[in-house]
Amino acid sequence: MAYDYHRSGSLAEAFALAARDDSALIAGGTDLLVALRKKKRAAPARLVSIRSLPELTAIEAGPGLLRIGACAPLTEILAQPVVRERLPALAQALAVIGSRQIRNVATLGGNLCNASPGADSAPPLLVYDATVELAGTGGRRELPLSEFFLGPGRTALRPGEIMTAVCVPLPVPSAQSVFQRRSRVAMDLATASLAVNYELQGGVLKSVRLAAGAVAPTPLRLRAAESWLEGRAVNEETLAKAVELARGEIKPIDDLRGSAWYRSELIGVFLSRAFRNRKEGDA
Amino acid sequence: MNEFRFIGVDTARPDAPDKVSGRAQYIHDITLPGMLWGAIRFSDHAHARIRHIDTSEAEKLPGVEAVITAYNTPEVRIGFLRDNFALKRDKVRQFRDEIAAVAARDPETAREAAALIRVEYEPLPGVFSPEEALVEGAPLVHETDARGRARKDNIVPVRFAHHSGDLEAGKRASRHVVEGEYRVPLIQQSCMGTAGCIASFDARGNLTLVAKTQIPFLAQKDFNRALGALGLEGRNTRVVVPALGGGFGTGLDTHAYEYIAMLLAWRTGRPVKILYNREEEFAFLSPRQSASARIRQGCDENGRLTFREIEVVQDNGAYTSWGATFPSVMLVPATSLYRVQNVSFESKIVYTNNTYCQAMRGYGNPEITWPIESSIDELAELAGIDPFDMRLLNCNQPGETTPMGLKITTCGLKECLERTAASLDWKEKRGRQDAKRRGVGMAGVINVAGGGKIYRSDGSGIILKPDDYGNVNVSYGGVEMGQGLHSALALTVAEALGIRPENVIVNQTDTASCPWDVGTHASRGAFMACNAAVLAARKLKARLLEWAAEIYPQEVEEALARARRHSSFKEPDFDWRDAARRGQFELANGILTVTGAPELPELQVDFGRLLRAVHFRRQGPGTTFAEDAFYEPPTELPDWDKGIGNMSATYAFGAQGVEVEVDEETGEVKILRLVAVHDVGRVLNPQTLKGQIYGALAQGIGYAMYEQVLTDKGRVLNPGFTDYKLPTACEMGFPIDVQLVETNDPEGPFGAKGVGEPGLVPTAPAIANAIFDAIGVRIRDLPITPEKILLALRQRR
Ligand SMILES: Cc1cc2nc3c(=O)[nH]c(=O)nc-3n(C[C@H](O)[C@H](O)[C@H](O)COP(=O)(O)OP(=O)(O)OC[C@H]3O[C@@H](n4cnc5c(N)ncnc54)[C@H](O)[C@@H]3O)c2cc1C
Repeated sequence: MAYDYHRSGSLAEAFALAARDDSALIAGGTDLLVALRKKKRAAPARLVSIRSLPELTAIEAGPGLLRIGACAPLTEILAQPVVRERLPALAQALAVIGSRQIRNVATLGGNLCNASPGADSAPPLLVYDATVELAGTGGRRELPLSEFFLGPGRTALRPGEIMTAVCVPLPVPSAQSVFQRRSRVAMDLATASLAVNYELQGGVLKSVRLAAGAVAPTPLRLRAAESWLEGRAVNEETLAKAVELARGEIKPIDDLRGSAWYRSELIGVFLSRAFRNRKEGDA
Repeated sequence: MNEFRFIGVDTARPDAPDKVSGRAQYIHDITLPGMLWGAIRFSDHAHARIRHIDTSEAEKLPGVEAVITAYNTPEVRIGFLRDNFALKRDKVRQFRDEIAAVAARDPETAREAAALIRVEYEPLPGVFSPEEALVEGAPLVHETDARGRARKDNIVPVRFAHHSGDLEAGKRASRHVVEGEYRVPLIQQSCMGTAGCIASFDARGNLTLVAKTQIPFLAQKDFNRALGALGLEGRNTRVVVPALGGGFGTGLDTHAYEYIAMLLAWRTGRPVKILYNREEEFAFLSPRQSASARIRQGCDENGRLTFREIEVVQDNGAYTSWGATFPSVMLVPATSLYRVQNVSFESKIVYTNNTYCQAMRGYGNPEITWPIESSIDELAELAGIDPFDMRLLNCNQPGETTPMGLKITTCGLKECLERTAASLDWKEKRGRQDAKRRGVGMAGVINVAGGGKIYRSDGSGIILKPDDYGNVNVSYGGVEMGQGLHSALALTVAEALGIRPENVIVNQTDTASCPWDVGTHASRGAFMACNAAVLAARKLKARLLEWAAEIYPQEVEEALARARRHSSFKEPDFDWRDAARRGQFELANGILTVTGAPELPELQVDFGRLLRAVHFRRQGPGTTFAEDAFYEPPTELPDWDKGIGNMSATYAFGAQGVEVEVDEETGEVKILRLVAVHDVGRVLNPQTLKGQIYGALAQGIGYAMYEQVLTDKGRVLNPGFTDYKLPTACEMGFPIDVQLVETNDPEGPFGAKGVGEPGLVPTAPAIANAIFDAIGVRIRDLPITPEKILLALRQRR
């Protein structure tokens, strides 16, 4: 295996090279190089590296919004106090991706653009209503993350488009969020995962967001369960119905990491645990 | 106080600095001048007739030097039943069957050429489990045996059985009887260093094989036989063993890839290297076989065992290697773990179109201790007895002879069980089933620890050769594969001879320079090597001390004469001449002196100086030294049909305990604490011994909870660590209490027993027993995954 390796000097140059159909973008390379070695992906003529472009690595906190450059390494994102304090589900998810060595080079954009059904950053970003910025020679656009994933390995990126940033609205301080996940051992992809974000006001749930990973062709919002929970009080009956609805929305499969049955069980457990014993004002 | 100078003292391993600094030469690091690379074309079917092999495209590829098949090379049969061939001619019986091979200038070209070989097949129906293979009229994996006689079924013709006492009487005497079927999966040895070899011929037709082997001398025999097949009768194979990145049993047999490298080297006249990558290691090397065991055992009203009955069925895969002989080792715990009369053991080894299987650390013992020790807990539960008390009640005792005829000399089982219970706070914690869903469990182990006689000789030779500078070179035919054998040898030679461990240099294992050894397996390495070393060291020491009578006075007089030139010198107030005349010499710590001498440099002769003084003698002919010894343990080759014979010179015992917490909603098991108490006879090097046990525990946990080679109709689905899960450091993040019990075995070197395997044997049943204690669910099928636990919990409701 031999490729040309091109380290882009500017975003414009990266756009131009990315537009050629024999190019492949490389950020941290932790998905790409494995896929190439295992021949799970056709070999490109050229790897276009975008990871050292400052426009793509910056992490900027604005009022009510965190803008994370697509090529920011996971370790850098985790080091942001705002992530740990305001986006705990995202912090919990990023912290279990691979090992520290992997997190030092793996990028958030790579995790999303690789579009694995189990990409761990996706469920928390979905429950925080994140949007993604996509750009190329044809211009810039913004898309809700929930519209980005089309199937395993398939995204809304157009040929030659680069993801430039992920924008995360910061939840109100009273919101609570959590990410749960199970894998066979450490350093393993998720068997199933669930991120939850909600507020508890006057004893009832508000702004409920649920998103699951590794239980469908793409990471997905569990909208039926969300709307059932919206405005209701947390009790075992409510949760049981939510679990039932959630299980109806996911489409898990049997594979080496677990059976469809077990995945469905896990989603139910994660969902109940996310709400059980939570009180107003709990973090 | 330690009665020894080096034995029992933490000592850094002699091989460690080179290994941690990347200097050790593994097979991966070795290149010979003019060397070619081999690659193998494996089968595309689990069972098929080979219709046609077209190698023309491969031959045309630039850089290819040879393409071989069974049609253009002599037939080379392999395996102890001779049911396998280096290259397959008419039929493939498993996905990893070798059909053709290529030698080329680099590994990429070789692999590319191998992929260009076209094979036409006529697919045949296959059998993929013993159940399928045993059905009347099932497709035959082998239509004939090695001699060409027609075969009627898929049963491998090896028999290991045992029937002692009166089973029916045992059953009648039982108050409680339990029965269960237990399963173990196919697993991979997962050596850090993958498999490989380099074959080269000299101009006279002698073969040198640099091989990742644990059996250099049995391999030499196998390869010499293959030389005969090439028309090279009487030529010799020299087996050279590089640094090994783990063996774990993978090196207990010779492999088709080694014979293929040999055929390619002979064809091209150049050295040929074949090296497996991780995926190939998983798909094309022999793993540890899956097996099922049905066990029945009973006890009387007091909990005393009344009988034990076991039937084992093993999936052999398509060809026969040493995995088929696992029942020979299963007999040890089956008949002798705890006191039990009236034992019945039967085994059936079945050909299938799955990958063929091989040895792995423990060799049948974990497979059978899993049902035995789970069943002991089931029996205790039924009888309403604490499982710890039941184990104590039936505990083996020193001096007993078991139904298999094993002569138990020293036995620390009772102490191991008691210490395990104490460390776990057993009486306090067991049987509580509290809200936290915590539980404790334990299991015991018996393992051969003084060799395991499965061959005409179970011995080991050794040569000790001092040089002029006070170093002793050790030539030993066993293999250092990461377990610390060289460290044990250095300590033993130093202790027995009276020199320092850093002056003991263990040579690379090479059949040309090392004496015969049957192989490094069965926890026998250090036991045999060190026993042989003690014998040779005694001979060497006796010879050296004979020379002391001449050399010592001469060297001391000279030293004193030199010392007297200093005015401050005071004559020693000690009659050293008299002691020397009486022959009261002592060699210790690399220094020769006489008994009672004060610690004055003038009265001490350095070991190197002694050797030089003998070599370059002032008058008369001098000499150099070398001594050899061969240690053959006092054991018997068992009668396998009857399952009787004292196959080991001593037996190791141990107990492990674990505390777990089970999440009843997800089925996840968290280990809170692990205790491993092992009767090791005597600790040689505490550091390496604990290393053996920690490593074994990780393997035991892998077997218990994570590992399984998944296959679909004979094809491996998870050939790599992405989906074949070993425990990582994160899974091992709990306190581990390792305790060593010293029983000082009379047959062991300085009292030591073999310790390589026992550490992984009882781990799985200890965990399963703890899970039962926590949530009342028993898993009988390894690995114990959260999914299985959750399913069992659901089924219980
Ligand atoms: C040992 C190991 C463990 C792992 N464990 C986990 C885990 O637990 N959880 C998990 O979710 N993942 C895991 N991964 C997967 C991987 O590390 C992540 O998906 C990582 O975030 C990918 O980022 P990257 O920068 O390395 O992507 P790359 O490999 O560089 O790229 C991945 C894909 O995205 C494309 N791409 C990258 N950046 C952009 C961009 N800005 N715009 C458009 N396309 C782009 C590339 O062309 C490529 O197709 C693991 C990987 C390894 C090797």
